[in-house]
Formats: sequence, structure tokens, C-alpha cells
Amino acid sequence: MEKQAPPDLREMVSIALGLTLVCLAAAIILGGVYFLTEPAKVRNVRAREQATIQELLGLEAGARIEEVRRYLSWKGKHLEVLYLTPKRLVRVDETGEELETYSVPVEVETAQSPDAKDEWVMEAVNAADSDDFGYVGRFFVGLEDGRTAGYVVEGVTPGYKTWIRFFLAIDADFGVQGLEIVEHEEDPGLGAEITQPYFKNQFVGRGFAQTQDLEVTKDPLPNKWEKALESLGDQDFEAWVQAQRPLIDSHPKIYAITGSTISSEAVTNGVKRALSNFRTRMNVVEDYL
Amino acid sequence: MSKPPPPVSTMLMRGLFEENPVYRLALSLCPAVAVTTSVKNGLMLGVAVFVVQVLSSVSASLVKHIINPKIRIPVFTIIIAIWVSVMDMTLAALFPHIYEEVGLYVKLIVAFAIIISRMELFSMKYPVVPSFWDGFGMGLGFLAAMAMAGAFRELLGNGSLLGFPIVEFQPLLLVILPAGGFFTIGLIMALYNLVDVKLGHKLPEEKMGGGHQHG
Repeated sequence: MEKQAPPDLREMVSIALGLTLVCLAAAIILGGVYFLTEPAKVRNVRAREQATIQELLGLEAGARIEEVRRYLSWKGKHLEVLYLTPKRLVRVDETGEELETYSVPVEVETAQSPDAKDEWVMEAVNAADSDDFGYVGRFFVGLEDGRTAGYVVEGVTPGYKTWIRFFLAIDADFGVQGLEIVEHEEDPGLGAEITQPYFKNQFVGRGFAQTQDLEVTKDPLPNKWEKALESLGDQDFEAWVQAQRPLIDSHPKIYAITGSTISSEAVTNGVKRALSNFRTRMNVVEDYL
Repeated sequence: MSKPPPPVSTMLMRGLFEENPVYRLALSLCPAVAVTTSVKNGLMLGVAVFVVQVLSSVSASLVKHIINPKIRIPVFTIIIAIWVSVMDMTLAALFPHIYEEVGLYVKLIVAFAIIISRMELFSMKYPVVPSFWDGFGMGLGFLAAMAMAGAFRELLGNGSLLGFPIVEFQPLLLVILPAGGFFTIGLIMALYNLVDVKLGHKLPEEKMGGGHQHG
């Protein structure tokens, strides 16, 4: 190949200018479209979340779902935890002792975007004074006819490649009522099987203690158990648990997906941690809901 | 700009038949195999590619005079990336259900060889209006190719079309599997060649002296 002469100064300027112009145009177009489409996207994500929660808790269409967001604030070695419920923002110390309660203005309560809520919280508690302040997680309370129908916790756990995000439905006695994998990037055909009923339903119907004792086994999934797991969803959650109680109790281990022990263990550990953390936190925030 | 652009009808037919991106140029086979397990999926990606192709061809033609030829490839890539991102955001906002299914593939359009090859081969040489029709024809050709492969695979592999059951028989699972995608595309390619032979045209391989390489 013939050797190319290096471009002269004029050409270099024209190249740099051309690229700058194109990138500038790209930034303007993308910024504009983002500005126009983002609100609708946030609404869609929210609608999908609500539908997932409704299905997990078996709520009727008229049920209300309240979001509780949790923030951590570090001041030196001193840690404070904040819980944002629809009506109130509660600041507690490490032991769960209440420090201060703020009431939430209506425009924040009805805000669609989580960013608006986070911004208000940061302003209300002077987050700038903290060494480290941040949103760390959330859970949902399902209300039917004014009574609590159940909770859904959003959890994340490190999967094979990146985070697995899941919704865990929890009943009033801290038992598992359902599990839905919301977002993951596990390998199709292997780790991605965590979204399948025969895996995720293995957690359903287990009490708090039973869940904390869960271990992952590499034994093959028994046929009868697999059929029972697949049938959840065809019928009501409570009816299913009642009918399958003997099978649930006689399979105290989680059967790993073939070839995907890491993904299976990731979800199992995530569920265990999410559940035990939720119980601890619930003791603190129960009174403020 | 030495040659006048071919008439619109020729450009449309070229995308659909003579230079069909999938069956003639054998470009973008990877998504063609991955997505065409049903007519619906094939159509949705086809429409996305169609829109990106038209917009990218027009944009490339618009900026070709102010861009130094040495940086045309990065500029093309940025142009495609802009339109793909716009598609991605618009789909996510307006059609969340469709986005759930094709969201993953939409982002891949950035790397589709057919789009950048049309910008390089056509839009760089011709004004905006012919570039629009070239992109239109090529996009349409890709859309039609995806719909054909999708229809073939859904009908044989699932006994349905667009989700509606058509025939009752034991479906051929192989056709739905990735290997079946290659068989499908091979068969439709053969059909294209057969039509050419019947019409007395020369086969593409003969035209180019045989043994040429696909991109």
C-alpha cells in the first residue's frame, strides 16, 4: 500500500471542525429527543412496576400501592437512615430511634419521577452537610380496603455478569409470597432461566426461618416438584400454597439451574438478604406507614 | 455526481429484488436469523431498520459537502447512532410493549452493515432526494426480507401467522431454532436465484466473475 502523506494543517482543522460540528448536532438532537420522551418513559416504567406488584400480591384493580424509599446519610462515623413514605419523611439513627419527622408536600407526594422525590429529600435534610448521602433502596406496601395486603421489596444481587434486580413479595409474617426477576443480563438458556417458574417459584410459600435456612443443591429438580412449581400462576397464591404445602416443606433446598449454579446462588442469597433486611427495617418504619 | 441517479422505480425494485440486503448482498444476516422467529418480531425490527436507513441516507447526503472524506466513516457511525438512539428513546416512550421485545435488537442496528454501505455507496455520490429513495428502497427490501423469513419460520415452526393459528400439524421445531434460520435464508436465496434464471438474468456470482467475498 502506498504511504499516505500526513494531513496538512488546513486539513487537520477541517477534520476537527467537521467532527465537532457533527457531534454538536448529535448532542442537540439527542438532548431534545430525551427531553421530549423521558417523562413518558418514566410513566411506562412506573406502570409496569405497579402491574408487577399488583400481580405478585394478587391485588385487585382498585388497590393502592405506596412506595417507601430509603436513604443513608453519613456524617463522619455517624450514620442516619431516612425513610420516605408517601406522607412523611422519617429520620432515624442507627438503632432505629426517631430523630425527626417531616411532612411531605403534595407536589412531591404526587410526583411521578423518583428524581423529584430524591431532590426534595436532599433539600429537606440538608444533604449537603453529610459526607455521603444517597438513595439505597425501596419497598412497596400494597393496600386493599385500607388494610395492608402485603409488601414488595426491590432487591439487587450480584449475578454472573452484572446486577440482578428482583421484586420479592412478602406477607405480614415475613414469609415469601412471590418472586419476580425484573432486570438481569444472565446468559440466555443458562442463567437467564432464573426468570422461569420452575426456578423462581421455589421460594414461594416459605416462612421466614425456612427461607433463611435455604441452600442451593446441584441435584436434579424432581419431576413432581417441577410440575407443582409450573402450576403456580394458574391458580390463586393461597390455594397453591395450601395444596403444595407438603411438597414445599419436603424440598427445603433450592435446586440450581443446570450449568448456572452461580446465578442460582446469587438469587438465593439475594432473596435471603432482602428478606432479613426487610424484617429489621420494618420494625423501625412500621409505625410511620 | 457524474452519473444521473437512476429512476425511483429502479431504486425501489433494486432494494426489493436485485440488491436485496439479505438475500442478495447477504448483509446483516445475524439479526435476520436471530429475530425472524415470528412475523411480528421480523416486521418490528424491519420497520426500525427501514426508518433508520431512510434517515441515515438522507443525513449522509446532506452533510457530505461539509465533511472531509477522510472522516466519513466516523461521521456515518455517529449519524447512524443518532437515529438509532432517537428510535430507541421514541419506542421506549410511545410503544413500551414493543420496546420490551425488540429493545435489545434496536440498539444493534448501529452495527448493521447494510446501512453504512448504502451511505458510502449511494448517499456520498447523489443528492438528497435520490438518497431518500435509495434508503427507502433498501429499507423496504430489508423489511420485506424479514417479513418473508419470519412468515416462513412461524408458519412451519409454529403453524401460525402473526400469532393466529393457520394449520394444524406437528410443528417443525428446527425451523424456529437458529440453525433453521440459516436454512430459511438459504432457501429464500435459492428462490431468488431461481426466479433470476427463469427470467434469463445472470446470477450475481457470474456477474461479478465468481468467488467474490461478502461483507
